Amino acid sequence: MDLAGHLLIFAVAAIVALAAPLTLGRLIRPKNRTPDKSAIYDCGEEAIGSSYLKFDLRFYVVALLFIVFDVELAFLFPWAAVYGSAIALTDPTLSEGVRLGLTERLGGHTPGTLPIEATLTAGDATRLAIGGALDLAVFFGVLLVGFAYVWKRGDLDWVKTVAGQARQDALR
Amino acid sequence: MLAAPPAADLALPVEPAEAVESVTLAGWLSDGVGLDGFWALAVAAAVHAFVLLNLFGVLPAVFIWVERKWSARLQDRLGPTRVGGRFGWLQALADGLKLIQKEDLVPDAADGLLFRASLYVPAISVLMAFTLLPFNDRWVAVASDCGLFLILAVLSLEVVGVVLGGYTSGSKWSLLGGMREAAQMVSYEIPLALTALVPVIAAGSLSLREIGVFQAGWMFPNWLVFANPFCAAAFLCYFTVAIAECKRAPFDLAEAESELVAGYFTEYASFRWSMFMLAEYASMFVVSLIATLLFLGGWWTGIAPLDAALTGLNDWRPDVGVEGFGVGGYLANVLFAGVVCLKASLLVTVQVWVRWSLPRLRIDQVMATCLKYLTPIACVLLLGATLWPLGLLATLGRPTVFGSTFSASPSPLGGAIVEQDSALPNGDGEAGEALR
Repeated sequence: MDLAGHLLIFAVAAIVALAAPLTLGRLIRPKNRTPDKSAIYDCGEEAIGSSYLKFDLRFYVVALLFIVFDVELAFLFPWAAVYGSAIALTDPTLSEGVRLGLTERLGGHTPGTLPIEATLTAGDATRLAIGGALDLAVFFGVLLVGFAYVWKRGDLDWVKTVAGQARQDALR
Repeated sequence: MLAAPPAADLALPVEPAEAVESVTLAGWLSDGVGLDGFWALAVAAAVHAFVLLNLFGVLPAVFIWVERKWSARLQDRLGPTRVGGRFGWLQALADGLKLIQKEDLVPDAADGLLFRASLYVPAISVLMAFTLLPFNDRWVAVASDCGLFLILAVLSLEVVGVVLGGYTSGSKWSLLGGMREAAQMVSYEIPLALTALVPVIAAGSLSLREIGVFQAGWMFPNWLVFANPFCAAAFLCYFTVAIAECKRAPFDLAEAESELVAGYFTEYASFRWSMFMLAEYASMFVVSLIATLLFLGGWWTGIAPLDAALTGLNDWRPDVGVEGFGVGGYLANVLFAGVVCLKASLLVTVQVWVRWSLPRLRIDQVMATCLKYLTPIACVLLLGATLWPLGLLATLGRPTVFGSTFSASPSPLGGAIVEQDSALPNGDGEAGEALR
């Protein structure tokens, strides 16, 4: 509620802040439209054809790759926070209070609600951290295999045909 | 909320909860003034929006002047010299006044409504990002537990405006610029998020405020850029990607005035054009501020006694006739906010420097830089940052080289600072329960 309200009011504020000078400008700016001014810029020539045309979206596979990566990253963000807290807890020199506080943060508890017995020990935290690192290795490894495949296939090249031609020439 | 200022011998006091009672503006409005919940929130958000909107307006004006002046010096010119007396320091304002007076042209071929609407999108996304930016440990409009995640999400909306503007202009140059921008953005977001994760692993939190508090004390080794070698490399990688995210040279292929006329804003004139510029400079500041918070010690000066002195101002509370208002605490907040803005502004200046020093890449080189260099590098950095503390644990017996940044103080700093956003829990409550 707090966040949504803020984002909404900030969006409205941005719109107002941009609309105000534009409205002010409407009162003072000249308005002498001519056909030449209303034409699009095409290097000073008469525009040939429309720009709403079929267009080669070169990055189609890149966009697919982005979706996979981005979904993966969305999962990695909470993982990184938990893993970082677990790593901090593996330090055996931490005081009890800090240890309890870190455990609360790790588990997402409200500060001051966890009983002292629930505190994670350094040994527990180490096991948790190693588990977390292995999770990442598997989760990320699968993604990287896919990335390597796309790379090998040549989908990361901006001009695929030229790059493919160059590769074939190199083979010859 | 955890990372109390380190090492008691540095005399950084852990703030006692009674002495510095921080409340949110909404809380103060409902308890102190007596507005009911909804209106308190609305008024608080409006005040936040107004304050940050001023920053949003003033900073680009400053940076535009800095860029004009410094680019001129780099090219052995003088740059603006007259407006505002010396050094042409009012140049940006004069530019704005001129642009308001210019004729507003919308091409006949353009889709009028979307053409006019698209320029609001970048500004909205950047101003919404300001919502989540902490300027010191109390000044933040919304202290979210996953602020970093949200801010990256909100910032990435900017590209929608650029693509929309490019496509609806009805010009071929604009179309090419917009499509390039889309390709560039979807690619560069991957290394951006990956490198932002590296300091998160070191700090163990997604809250930008907590990450900032974590870096209190001496610059070395407490700033996260020095936390481990992977963090230092991640900073360089993040900064490179951030330049591309703001579509600045050498990655400004969406604009590319030498080949695409002006790219996606070829058809925009007068004040409409300047709004894209405004959003660009504001987003340069936002990504630099995120870099400062993630890597460069946030609002701390990096000199422990100086920070201790500034924090000590919180205890200076002369009676000024306002209940609960501490002059010293306010002063400390202003100074800390000044420090963080100064650091971010220096990073913006580096971006300007890079723009006027390096030649523009070609579009295929831009894509190859991201997909074949930055993304694999960022993956390696993430894996390295994951394994580094485990390696240290196996050899040194502790997860950091210089000992834990978490203080040995009995009570964590939390509770008294900013009320946490209850609508956004950490998202791992069950996982935490399952551990035990």
